[in-house]
Parts: sequence; C-alpha cells; structure tokens
Amino acid sequence: MSEHVILFAGPMGAGKTTAIRALSEIEVVSTEATNSDQAAAAKATTTVALDYGEISVNEAEKVRLYGVPGQKRFDFMWTILAERAEGVILLVNADAENPVETAIEYVKEFFALYKRGGIVIGLTRADLVPNALIEEYANALADEMPDVMIPVFTVDGRSNADMTVLLMTLVANVELKQAIAPTLSRRAR
Amino acid sequence: MSIVTHLDPKYISRGELALGGLRSLAPSLRYASLLTEDGFSVVDVAGKEFDSNRFASMASSTQALADAVARELRLGDNEFVIVAAQQGHVVQVRVEEHPLVLAALFTDKATIGTSLTAARRTARRLTTLLMAK
Repeated sequence: MSEHVILFAGPMGAGKTTAIRALSEIEVVSTEATNSDQAAAAKATTTVALDYGEISVNEAEKVRLYGVPGQKRFDFMWTILAERAEGVILLVNADAENPVETAIEYVKEFFALYKRGGIVIGLTRADLVPNALIEEYANALADEMPDVMIPVFTVDGRSNADMTVLLMTLVANVELKQAIAPTLSRRAR
Repeated sequence: MSIVTHLDPKYISRGELALGGLRSLAPSLRYASLLTEDGFSVVDVAGKEFDSNRFASMASSTQALADAVARELRLGDNEFVIVAAQQGHVVQVRVEEHPLVLAALFTDKATIGTSLTAARRTARRLTTLLMAK
C-alpha cells in the first residue's frame, strides 16, 4: 500500500484540528490539553503533540493527515512529523495580528518541505476581516521569496469541500514537482 | 483578569515545596519539572543543564500521546508515563484536580519502581498542598 503524508501547520487557533476533522474518514486522534494561554488564543483546549486523520484514495492508497501544534515551543514535533511528510497545508487565521508576516514566517519554517514537495496556504476566518485579500499574501510572498510559487486560498476549515480543494491543489503541486524533478536534474548536469 | 497557571504564585510556591520534597525523597533525582498540561514550565529543580521550557513542552507532548494511546485502546485513564533509557528514566504523573503534570528524570541508580513511587507521592502531596488556602 502506498501512502502520502500531509502536514497541517500554522499558528494556534488557525483551525488545523477542525480542518483535519473535516477531511478525515476515520475518527481523528487528538492530543488536546487545557489551554492556559488564553492571551495567545481564546479557546478551551490546544493541540500539544499531533492530530491524526486518514483518507483512503483507493484500496492501495492512503493519505495520512498530521496536524502539528501551532506554538513554537512544540517545534520538535514539527521536525519529527515533517521528516515523513510530502507537503504542508499551512492554515493562517486572517483575523489574527500580522497574518501576512505570520504566513511568511511559517513558510520559512517549513521551506525544506516546499523544496521536497509543496506548500499551499489556506486563510481561515477571512470573512471576519474586510481586507483579507489573497493578493496581499501573494504579493508579500513574491517580495520575500521571488522564486517561490505557493497557492493561496481563503477557506472555511470546517468545510470538507474547501479543505478538499486545498488538499488536491497540494497533491497536484507535489506530483508536478516529482514529475519535473528528473528533467531538472538532467538539465543541471 | 486571572493569572495564567504557570505564573500563578500559588502554583509556584507549592510546586517548589513539593519538588523540594521529591528531591529529599529520591536522591537519584536528576531533574524535575512541574508543568501545565499545555507545556509551560511552572517550576523546576536541579539539573540546570536542561532547558526547562523545552523539557516542559516535550513532557506535555509525551503525556498527551500516552493519554491518546490509552484512550484509543480503551484502557481507561492513563495513570503515568515512563521513558526508560540506558542512563536514566523519566517518570510523568498528572497532578489530580489540576491541569498539571509532574515530570521527573532519575539516574539509573534507582529502580523505576522506586522513582515511580516517589513521583506519585509527590503528585499526591501537591494536590493536598494546593487544596489548602
């Protein structure tokens, strides 16, 4: 059986656990703890190790969905889970403080995965802010990393349809990168 | 506005008392930390070579993963976590009635059973200390 491993990353409160729950065909394995840092995000619990969900593509193919904790203090979990992953769905809550800078920060954190597979960005809670323009994020990314191409969408993390679009875009990016990799390495020789 | 758990003087002072007691109870103690279940260090003793924040975060993840395994296998509530390595072992116990975890690293000079007993007694003592006004 072949498997694909996709990571869900992004700041605390962006909706990673919710998104995995929206996509997974199995009951999601969660590691929630009481959130004592209400200033960072006003919610009762927070993920402290991982979330795990699965989608079966067919009898021989499975997509494993891993959510990592949003807080930097759990970055060892990012490293552990990124080792096996082929791509990252980066969720950023558009109504947070400095969401554009946050998105770029996380892209940099997971840049090794971009090079190996791909990254797509999903802006959650974009309906709550008037200026959550996708262009703003795309332009900031283009300024900061001119040779990098990362698709940006606004999504509802609770919506299976929205999250499926994000996942399929990432998978297409990863497959495209894998397909052109031999050509690029031949040209480099 | 309420004080966050890891900065709450009550948790800090009573945590210090309890961890001090653990130190006398278990001479093989190398490091101990009282942490919030979401990975903030409240108080720690000994082992100044360790990064207390990183230790607390890792202990929090380990605790949550062990709890998830117990839950998935329908084993009831997870009571403690042990990480046994060549040169020592880590014992983790929840502090009942509080969102806190006691994580303690012992050298290989003590048996795991002895360390576990000391950690559990300390966690119970901390619950009692926190009950008092």
